[in-house]
This record gives sequence, C-alpha cells and structure tokens, in this order.
Amino acid sequence: MRRVATIAWHTFKESVRERVLYNLVVFALLLIGAAILFGSISVGIEHVIIINLGLSSISVFGLLMAIFIGIGLVWKEIDRRTIFSLLAKPVRRYELIIGKYLGLMLTLLINTSIMTAGFYAALAYEKRTLEVADLVALQAVYFILLQLGMVVALALLFSCVSTPILSAVFTFSLYIIGNLLSDIRWFGQETGSALVMNFTAVVYYLLPNFSNFNVISQIAHGQAVPSYLLVSNSLYALLYITILLAAAVLIFEEREFR
Amino acid sequence: MAETQKLWRASRTRLVCGVLLLAAFVALVPLQRGIDGMVSARMRVEELLYRPSGRYSHRLCLGHEGLIANIYWTRVVQYFGRKRLDQSARYDLLGPLLQITTELDPHLVIAYRFGAIFLAEKAPSGAGQPEEALQLLRRGIVANPDYWRLWQDLGFIYYWDLKDYPSAARVFQAGSKQPGAQIWMRVLAATVAAEGGAIASSRLLWSEIYRQAENEQIRKSAEDHLLALQVQEEFGQLNLVLKQFEQRAGRRAHSFRELVVAGVLVALPRDPTGVPYVVGSDGRAALGPGSRIDLRLLQ
Repeated sequence: MRRVATIAWHTFKESVRERVLYNLVVFALLLIGAAILFGSISVGIEHVIIINLGLSSISVFGLLMAIFIGIGLVWKEIDRRTIFSLLAKPVRRYELIIGKYLGLMLTLLINTSIMTAGFYAALAYEKRTLEVADLVALQAVYFILLQLGMVVALALLFSCVSTPILSAVFTFSLYIIGNLLSDIRWFGQETGSALVMNFTAVVYYLLPNFSNFNVISQIAHGQAVPSYLLVSNSLYALLYITILLAAAVLIFEEREFR
Repeated sequence: MAETQKLWRASRTRLVCGVLLLAAFVALVPLQRGIDGMVSARMRVEELLYRPSGRYSHRLCLGHEGLIANIYWTRVVQYFGRKRLDQSARYDLLGPLLQITTELDPHLVIAYRFGAIFLAEKAPSGAGQPEEALQLLRRGIVANPDYWRLWQDLGFIYYWDLKDYPSAARVFQAGSKQPGAQIWMRVLAATVAAEGGAIASSRLLWSEIYRQAENEQIRKSAEDHLLALQVQEEFGQLNLVLKQFEQRAGRRAHSFRELVVAGVLVALPRDPTGVPYVVGSDGRAALGPGSRIDLRLLQ
C-alpha cells in the first residue's frame, strides 16, 4: 500500500509539471468567466448559461487532461526505459498501474476542484450571492469525476499496449461511442435481425456507458440527481474502473520489456 | 525457491485480476439494466431518433445539450433582435430555431415564454404566427407540466393575439387548476368568460403580467400596454364630452382648450406621459404630438 502511495505521489508530482495542464485549467477558467458575458447577450438564461458552460468546461477540459496525461502514463516509462529501473526495485507491476492511476486521479481531483471554485466564483458574481440550492451543481461535478475516473482507466489500459497517439484515438473514440450506446442498441433492435440485436446488446453492456453520467442540463434547471442514481452510477463507475485496471494489470503482467 | 515464489505471486495476481474482471462484467449487466429502468422515463431513445432538428442532435451533444440549447436560444434572441431592428416582415428561421432550442432542452422555460411572444406579435414587431406560438406553448406544457405560467401565456395568446375569448377563458380556467397557480388566474378566467375583450379584462391581464414579471423587458412591455389601455379608456370619456359639446354648441370643438374656456373641462386633459390630448380632424380625441404612448399595441 505504501508503495502504491509513493508511486501515486510521484505520478502526481510528474503530471503537475506538465505545462499543458496549466494551459487547460486557465482556458477552462477563462471560459467559465466568459459565461457571464455570454449571458448578457441572451435573455433570461444568465444563471443557466453559467451552470451549463461552467460544468461543460469542467467536463471537457477534465476529459482532455485525463486523455493527454493518461495516455503517456505507462508509455513514457517504456519509451524512456525508466521502466527497467522501476521494475528492478521491489515494486510489483500491479502496484505500478494502480499507483499511476491514483496519481493521475489526484491531479484531476485538484484541477477539477480549482475549476469548480472558478465556476462558483462566476456564479456568485452573477447572482451576487450563493444559496444552499446552488450546491446541487456539486452532484454534476461528482459525476464528471466518475466519468474522468473511467476515462483515465481507459487511457491507462491503452497506454499499456499502444503508442500515445493511438491510445488517445482509442480512448476518445470509446468516449464518444460510450455516449451513444443507447442509440447503437436501438439501431440493432431496429434491424429486426436477432444476430445484430444480440451483437449490439453485447456491445451495449460491454463498453463503458458514459451517458449514465450526463446530468448537467438537469442540474442547470435546479433538479437534483435522485439518490438511487447517485449510488448506481458510483457503483457502475467503480465496477468499470475495476475492469479496466484489472485488464491493464493483466496486459502489463504479460508484457516483456527489451 | 525465490523464482518459484515470484512465479506463484505473478500467477496469483493474474488469477485475482481475471476473477475481478469477470465478476465486475457480470455485475455490470444487471446494474446497467437497473439504471436503464430508472432513467427510461426521461430518455426514450426510440422517440428521439430519425427526427430532424434538436431531438436528433440531442444525441450528438455528448451530454452537453443544455449548453447547445443555451447557444441556440442566444441565436433566437439575436435573430429576433436583428429582424426587428430591420423592421423585417419575415421571421422564417424563428420557428425552427425555437424548435431546436426546446428539443435540445425541453426544460428551458424561458424559450417557450419569450419564444411565444416573439412568434405571436404582429409584424414587424414579431413574426405574426400566433398558431406557431400556441404549438410551442403546448409543447412546453407537455414537457413542464408543473409550470402553470405556460398556461397563462397560452391563454394570453388566445386572448390578445387571436381574440378568441372563449378559448382564452378555458385555458385560464385549466391553468388555475395547476399546482401552484395563483388565485388571480381563476379571476381572470371568470372575467374573460364574462366580458371577453373588454378593457377591464385586458387591464387585469396586463396588471398581473406587470406584477409577476421576472424580466425587465416583460415589465416594460406590460407597462406600455397598461398605459395604452388607460389612454383608450380616457378617449372614451373625452369623446363623450366632445359629443356633448357638439350637441350643445352645434359645432365640433377644434381643441380641448375650447372646452376648458367653455367650462366643460377644468384643465387641459393630458395622457399618462403628461402630453396634452388633441382633437383630431375627425372630431375625436387623439394623442398629442410627442406622446410616447403606442396605441398600435392594442391592435
């Protein structure tokens, strides 16, 4: 456990050195601030636009950070050949994978917190006050973090088997597909073919269903996420992250480095 | 010995990972089914596909449909504002833009409320499409059954733009039964049913809109309508006085000053903005030059 924590801490320190991270956070904060101006050229949606644009910025920029840092997590160690010195130490391979994952999640947690603080600052500026009801947006932030947890695990899995560019393409493609799974399943049902229907049903359950976590629009209208959905989605993310990390460990255990 | 231990440890890790992977996948299926069951009522995929416009694009927004709806709503506002400034008689894109906006975010109530006003107002102030406005509001009511004010807006379109007073009264009555509806909706329903388009019912309607306005533009519009209604009422009284003067003097008065001199009026009558009324070429009361009252609002 201590070894996992050490790897996580070092991964965190390494990822906060990435300049792209700061650029993304600054850009996200600028966009959240721009929501105030955007609201002024519209009518009657001043709060709604800040919530929608703020939470969407947190989600999109978090996704970019998760993918661009996640794809290099293992690949960099292999590419720079530092993997040999790492594995020569009393560190098990699964500890390396889990430590890397937790390190990046810590980075994302801190960045998401900064962006969330920026979002609430913009909201407070627009509303001149903050109410307890505004805390409902934290549910959307929590779902964004769950989504990011799954994306990082995906990126890490691909990072164990492929180059960074291909890993980014695979992760991003799966993210998009994961948002359209309901449609894929429906297309299968529409064909009327049992084979296609079963295939799309398998795809539906096999691939990560990111649309489960899309609640920004609902939150923007002040509607809280029901507690059963909070629990179910947390469990879903936990299960899927377990699957992805287990797969990453299996691949990494088998991999030979020359 | 150390090598065997290492191998055993590695195979144990593989076994644990394999079991975890399989077990988690098996658990995912019932969990996803459970989530589907919970959210199926608010996300009926089959109804969203193969439809042009917002319902289809909804699926492609990757969870950011609220933001895209806000952008579309801003486009509606900008489009309407530009057309209105240009005094355009054609607002061809207004209906489709509003449809996309409300299909992307069916709970964006402001788009139904303002959109209906934009659609219903006569050209060049609006698109002059009250029927489209009714459809928009009906869609809004279906998507937001708990929001009683959409009933108020629907009744308003029947009352003000279509002059269909029985339908307006029915809608106000139905709206008054919605949860949270204010008591004056019932009063309005009764007044409209009894008096139709009388000034009293119009004043009641606009007074409530003014009182309940959540937006400065709506409040200003309601205020302008109330002032125009006040002028219309004062015209009625002044025309009566002018008629009495004509009968008594045997000629038409050319100005209200004549009536003041004759002692019929104690002072020059002024409109609510302080500009004196004048007598028109037809011998009836009219607004003075420079008056800010817009009587076209009542047409």
